[in-house]
Amino acid sequence: MKWLTNLWRTLNQPTKALTLGAVSISAFIMGIIFWGGFNTALEATNTEAFCISCHSMESKPYQELQETVHWSNHSGVRATCPDCHVPHNWSRKIARKMEASHDVWGWLFNTVNTPEKFEAKRLEMASREWKRFDRDNSLACKNCHNYNSMKWETMSPLAQKQMKRAAEIDQSCIDCHKGIAHHLPEMGTARAPELIAEVGSGVSSVETNQSYYSALTKPLFFTDKGDVEAGTLNVATKVKVLDTQGKRIKISIEGWRKKIGAGRVIYMDFGVNILSAQLTKDAAETEGVIQTFEEKEDPMTGLKWQRVEAQIWTEKDYLLTDLQPLWGYAKTTFRSSCSVCHTQPDEAHFDANTWPGMFQGMLAFVNMDQDTQALVQKYLQEHSSTFVKKEH
Amino acid sequence: MAKSNMQAQTPESSTRGRELKALGFIIFLLFPALTIAGIGFYGLVIWMIQAFGGVVSH
Repeated sequence: MKWLTNLWRTLNQPTKALTLGAVSISAFIMGIIFWGGFNTALEATNTEAFCISCHSMESKPYQELQETVHWSNHSGVRATCPDCHVPHNWSRKIARKMEASHDVWGWLFNTVNTPEKFEAKRLEMASREWKRFDRDNSLACKNCHNYNSMKWETMSPLAQKQMKRAAEIDQSCIDCHKGIAHHLPEMGTARAPELIAEVGSGVSSVETNQSYYSALTKPLFFTDKGDVEAGTLNVATKVKVLDTQGKRIKISIEGWRKKIGAGRVIYMDFGVNILSAQLTKDAAETEGVIQTFEEKEDPMTGLKWQRVEAQIWTEKDYLLTDLQPLWGYAKTTFRSSCSVCHTQPDEAHFDANTWPGMFQGMLAFVNMDQDTQALVQKYLQEHSSTFVKKEH
Repeated sequence: MAKSNMQAQTPESSTRGRELKALGFIIFLLFPALTIAGIGFYGLVIWMIQAFGGVVSH
């Protein structure tokens, strides 16, 4: 403590031995050296060599980049890691460097040091990066690429059409061009993290004789304990709770099925292909699972339909009392994903049995996990011209 | 007597040493550390603004 008081006393009075010149010159020179050193260090962390000095960056993202046009192309320009992942202006670069302290954490605790761990976290990491691109309208791409410099006539007619439309609204590049520098995450198998974030993981307590809607595609079971799966319950399906045992509930699914095969698919209503649940063949043939009621023939297809009620077990999570949050999420996803490439068709432009074909045909162009796919398809079907009478 | 007493309190060479140490402390340690902390904090603030309120313009 004493050295501090002494120091303060020395600093708080005019110098007796050192001249003002010596003090100011040394401060000035030190200032230059410091700032030079600081920027040199900052630039050193902004090189490819620095990025791939971590094994996890070298083994996956760096190797994947080498398969792409951003690594090697006919004009000989290469995009290295910081070109896309660090903003170029000073303030935002500093912010990004602070943000990257999170990566040091991951390095210390080996968060993605094996291929398995990397793949498991790929969606999360990619989503974070996509968000960053969304936020500044793909500025990182636009540091090199510019809509105004595009030579339209060398593009294919389809590319021209899409690109001109994008140029008009100065669209964010990443909207369409995801996965051009690194592999895409496995969207198909991941449970919808964004959907869960939006609608939550369901009500905390489930009451008997109440009706709920599934917030995810859920597995069905034969009994309240066993692991034998009896099928899947589709997302956004209305179910009635009959019984609760621990973590499982017995539910009733009402709907219609086609009288073909084992009749293991339950649809929401007569004559419409809106999926409610899909039972395994065993489940459909097991006594007591499906109760059958009246039959009707669909004049459009000549198929016999039968009203049914299935009673089966499922986990009691991901059940909602209200459909609206699900439809809200589906609507936003439909609007944002589909209008990226073409004019948005109205939900009521097609009927419930036409939408699945339309929708499935477009899925290759968007990144949607299976739960979101199922939800958006169901949203479109239930808001189609079958239910909403509208001029079109 | 008085002169030697004053010299004992503030000898020329120890004053110089003290002042050099103080100057060295300031320009090599204190100010660089403060600057780095300041820039770091500035970066953190921008990061937080971006995280909650979208992109900053400069």
